Formats: sequence, C-alpha cells, structure tokens
Amino acid sequence: MKKQFHWSWVGVLMASLLMAGAAAGADPIKVTAQQPITGRFAFAGKQIHQGLADSLAYVNEQGGVAGTQFEYIYEDTGYDLKRSVASFKKQMAKHSPPMNYGESTGEGKALAPEINERYHVLYGSTSFSEELADRGKNPYMFVSGPTYAQQFGILLKYIAAHPKQEGKKPTVAFFYSDTEFGRDPIPYAREIAKKLGVEVVAEEVTAVGAVDVTSQILDLKRNNPDYCIFQGYVVPPIPAVIRGAKDFGMDTTFMGSFWTMSKMLLDKLGADGEGYMGVNPYAYWYHTDVPMIQKIRDFNKRHHSDVTYRPNSYMQGWFTGMIFAKLAEKCHELGLPVSGENLKDAIPQIKDWDTGGFAGVVSFKSTNATAVGKVYSAKNGHFEPASDWIYLDE
Amino acid sequence: MRIGNFKETYAADEAVFTSPTSRFWVAVLFIALAAFPFFAGPYLLYMANHTGVAIIAAVGLNILTGSAGQISLGHAAFVGVGAYTAALLTTRLGLPFLICLPLSGLSAAFFGVIVGAPSMRMKGLYLCIATLAAQMIFEFIFIHWESLTGGIRGINVPAAEVFGFRLNTEFSFYFVTAPTVIIAVTAARNLFRTRVGRAFIAIRDRDISAEMMGINLFHYKLLAFGASSFYAGVAGCLNVYLLKIVTPEHFPLHESIRYLAMIIVGGLGSVLGAIYGAIFMTIIPEVLQSIMGLFQGLSPTIMSYLYPLQTVVFGLLIVIFLVFEPHGLAEMWRRLKNYFRLWPFEN
Repeated sequence: MKKQFHWSWVGVLMASLLMAGAAAGADPIKVTAQQPITGRFAFAGKQIHQGLADSLAYVNEQGGVAGTQFEYIYEDTGYDLKRSVASFKKQMAKHSPPMNYGESTGEGKALAPEINERYHVLYGSTSFSEELADRGKNPYMFVSGPTYAQQFGILLKYIAAHPKQEGKKPTVAFFYSDTEFGRDPIPYAREIAKKLGVEVVAEEVTAVGAVDVTSQILDLKRNNPDYCIFQGYVVPPIPAVIRGAKDFGMDTTFMGSFWTMSKMLLDKLGADGEGYMGVNPYAYWYHTDVPMIQKIRDFNKRHHSDVTYRPNSYMQGWFTGMIFAKLAEKCHELGLPVSGENLKDAIPQIKDWDTGGFAGVVSFKSTNATAVGKVYSAKNGHFEPASDWIYLDE
Repeated sequence: MRIGNFKETYAADEAVFTSPTSRFWVAVLFIALAAFPFFAGPYLLYMANHTGVAIIAAVGLNILTGSAGQISLGHAAFVGVGAYTAALLTTRLGLPFLICLPLSGLSAAFFGVIVGAPSMRMKGLYLCIATLAAQMIFEFIFIHWESLTGGIRGINVPAAEVFGFRLNTEFSFYFVTAPTVIIAVTAARNLFRTRVGRAFIAIRDRDISAEMMGINLFHYKLLAFGASSFYAGVAGCLNVYLLKIVTPEHFPLHESIRYLAMIIVGGLGSVLGAIYGAIFMTIIPEVLQSIMGLFQGLSPTIMSYLYPLQTVVFGLLIVIFLVFEPHGLAEMWRRLKNYFRLWPFEN
C-alpha cells in the first residue's frame, strides 16, 4: 500500500523554519564547516561535527554573543582533500562567513595561502598540526588545543618529573606511523627531550594500521624504555604492542596523544589498558566534577536524550565552538565587527581564559595553539587525571 | 534533417568531425567553454579546473590501458612525479610555469618508460602488480626523500605566472586548464589515427598477431607507458599550481584506482569515454552532496544518515552504469546520438 503524503507535515516544517528564523534575529554570525562525516575519518568526524554544532547551539541558548546568534552551516567532505577544498570555496562564495572549520591538516595546508591572501577567514580545524598553529605563517588559523608537538612536550615534561628510578635519567621510545600524522611532532619531540634530560632510546616506525609489529616489539625490548609514546594511530597496532610488551615481561609505561586517548582504544585494550597513560587537552565526559562537563552533559540530556557517552573528538568540536564564541566576544568587547580580520587579531589577545575546568586556563601565547593539556592514566576503563594542567610556553 | 553523409575525398573520410552537424556542436562547445568562466563563481571554476586535471590524467591512462591494453595501478604516482617535478623546478630553479608544464610531462614520461620496462616480459595481472610496486616505490620516495620532496610537509608553490599575469584565482587558472585539456584531448584523438596509435590497438587486441605484423611490441609498449605518463605528469603540474601545494597524500593508491574507474565507467579505449568518466567521477559526488545538502534544515540528525548514503548511491550508480552499459558512458552517448540522428523519425 502506498503511504499517503501529508501536506500538513510540510506546513509544520515551514512554520518551524519560519519560527527558527524569527528567533535567530537579524544577521547571525555564520560558521561554515567542511566535516569528514563519511570516509575513513568518519569515526571522529561525526562526533567533531556534533560537538561543534552543539557548542554553538549552546552559546545560542545562552543568548549568543551579545545577542547575536551563530548559524552553523556544514557539508560532508568524505575526508577527501579535493572535495573539501571545493566545499570550502563553495561555502565562501555563498555565505562569506567570518569563521570556518576545516576537515583536515591537508585542507588547512592547501588553503593557507589563499586564506592569507584572499579569504581572510578565521580557520579552526580537526588538525593539531604544528604548521597550522604557526602564527607568523598562518595568522588566521588556530588549533583547538595543544599541537601534537606540544602534546609531546607535555608528556615529556611529565616524564622528566616522574623518573622510574630516582636519580636516573628517564628513557623514552617514540612509536609512530609513517604518515604526516605520525611524524609531525617527532623532530620537536627529540629536541625537547634533550632539553628536559629525557633520553630517547628507540624510535619505532610502522605503516599506519600495521598488523605485524613483532620486530618493533623486539627492538623495544632490547632498549627497554621507561616510557613509550604512540603517535599517528587510532587503534591498531597499539593493543598488539602493549600485549606483546606484556608477554615479554616489560614494565614500560605506554602513552598516547589526543587520538589515542579514546574510550574506543581502552575498550579494545580491556584489562591490558590498566595504567595506559597519555595527554588529552580536554576533560572527559565522566569527569562530572568539571563545571563545563556538567553543562555539556546537561545540554546532551536535553537535546540528545539517547546519548550515554561523548568521546574526546566530540569535546574537540565543542571546544572549537567555545573558541569561536570567545573570539567573537573579544571582537564585541573591543567594539569591532566580527570579521575574519578582527577575529584573527583577537587570537593573541586571549589571555588567562578560564574554560570551566574543560581545557585549563587558556592563553594563546607564542603560537595559535593552547599549549596546555593534562596527563591521564587509565583505571577501570576510565581515564583519571595523573597530573594537573601542564602548561608549556611558560 | 540529414538524409546522408557522403564523402568524396579520403581526407573527408578521415576527418574527426565528419558532418556539419558535429562541427556545429563542437563549435558550440568551444564557445560555451570560453564563455563559462565569465558566468561561473569560484566554486564552479574550481570544479572545472579540477575536472580538467582529471580529464588529462584519465585520457593519459586511457592511452595505456584502454588502447594499448596494459593495466596500470601506478597512474597516480606518475601524476605525483609530474607534480613534484613542477614544484621543484619552480621553487629550486625558479623556472616559469609554461616551461614547467612540458618538463613535468617529460619527467613523468621518463619514469613511465622505466616502470614500463617489465612489460617486455609480463602482461595482464602480472604487469598490473609491477605497476602497483611502482606506485608504492614512488609514494615511499615522496615521503622519505625529505631533502628533495619536503617529506610529509610537502612543497608550497607560488601562483603560476604566464606572460606577466599571476594565475592566483580559479578564474585566471581556467584559461590555462581549458586550453591544456583541449590540446591534450586533440592530441590523444589524433594519436589513434597514426601508425603508433593503431599499433597500440593491435597490441591490445592480440599481441602475437601484432608482432607478426611487424610491430615491435616492446618499443610500442614503452611508447604507450611514456605517452600515458606524459599526460599524467602534465596533470600533476596543473594540480600543483591549482592547489599551490604538493604533499605525498595527494597521490595514494586509491587515486590510481579512481583513474582506472574513470576510464572503465567512461568506456575503455575511447577518448570521449575517458572525458565522460573523469567528469562523472568528479562531478557526481558533488551533485549528490548538493542534493543531500537540501535536506540539511529538516532535522538535526538527518544528515548523519544522508551523508553516508551518498557514498552508497555513488557506488550504486557506477554498478548500474556498468551493468546496463558495459561499454561505458561513451557508448550511451553514441546511442543517444544515433537516436537523434533521424529524429523525429524512427531509426
């Protein structure tokens, strides 16, 4: 039987759209986004998109930025560079927004010259790349947290302060994938390790998602580092490495940076995950004593009643929304219109911004990245703080 | 209405566009191509430039795979070789764009010939794997020869300059892409009217017979690899100047597969097919995206279902096209033309 088409639905829809339009008032601040909702980055892209959308909706609920609401306009890019650049250009032509959110490091790099010369739009993204936080080169771009290099800096600072044997230099190994994502922080990490007196005893490189890591584990065993930091992976081969090391009776502490600090990885690790550590720029969903987390949970309860957990990729999107709002607020404080140009100038002016326990107290000092993070340690399938907020750049 | 198409000279018989009607439509196409940038915005122009690059690369692969019958899984790597050549020649030697363009082609052709060398002893799937190895090796070089390629960070390239004009917008770049595409396509179309092109086809259809007819298999196979890679190199050069950056991530294996898909969907062995395939593979995801985008306002969660759907729809479209027309879009177009040849009368 054919279903009857109800015109009444169209009526309801039109009415609700009209109402939404009326409530939004005049000239909202447009935020365009190229989101990797499909493709191989979708596992995080979906959450990042939702986090950013929710964060901006939350600001709107609170009355917007001095009464001006945000309008969030997004497109899926399938994590494809050509498509995301196309999507960026389409959105710029159609909406000319002051703020944009990009899908990848690659997109940011490809668009950097044109953003500087032509588009003059504030550019946040999924990326934690060093290059995109370089204020001198890319003043319009910012990273929603510490860059990978800064994350390594935070971990190494922690390691330097926590030697396994008193009086002995701590040793560390870097375990990374042979990709941009994996290699990005390594040169800086070597440098900072030297400065902090942490000895780098091994560097293991694998293909992304490598399955057989026996030779790397054997090499790790030979060098027996106190700590081993993963970079450039999401899940595999980390469980294999940690289990392998355990089988060899090694007591190395394994650590990760943002993408390897997920519940997804801990779930895969199971009992082997106990004591796994790493750096995360944000608080976790289950840290209910953090005021901003309480707000996030409350927002989700009201708008997504079926949600029981939000991963750290969602938090990345949420925090980007907070930065967008903070910068718009700064422009308003200074009596300037919210334009890409003014937003860019506002970045270095963000000082000692209290993020409600969510991402430390943020100042954009020498880079357009926050340079702050917390070291967490896994206990019973949850990440619990192992340190207070660690600030670089001091 | 035409009632016949009579030819009185050999030249007329060999012409590419045999009838006044086809010449008329080609003229219309050229006028449309020339007028397009004045009406289109930056997004459409970016897509046009991007499609142009894909067309050149696909037409190139079609020479090798479609016409000479040598399957290659390394086409993206040759695009990469061209791209890196262009980037290096510009940033290190400061050569102008118009010199970089053919040099990128030549450099890719040089490596293409080397990679094609195993074709003397291998064919079919075995050769396919050899080209796959080439793809891997080049990808490895792009990432690891850091002093030359800049490693994972790649090389940033300044905007191209042609006769003092800085091509830093999609609009200005279109005036480079469009003529390059026209020259590339014309050359490819004419290639198959020469001894070389016919030799390629003979090798594809039956290599032993071709050899018995006096065709030097190795020589012509290498020529096919060289010609195909030359096109790839030119496409790579345009790609670099279009994106103004080159990184190893631009030339993964699945890009090679995409080029193969283009010529198969378009119609193997036909220049027009490669063009249709390139357009199809580049434009359809964008069209689907726009259609899905219309629903964005309907409900906050609807897009989380619709966006994944577009990948499925795109895959289905490819399968449907191949099931209903294994000879590709070019064959569909030919049948459509035939239908209208005597329109409004029955054929």
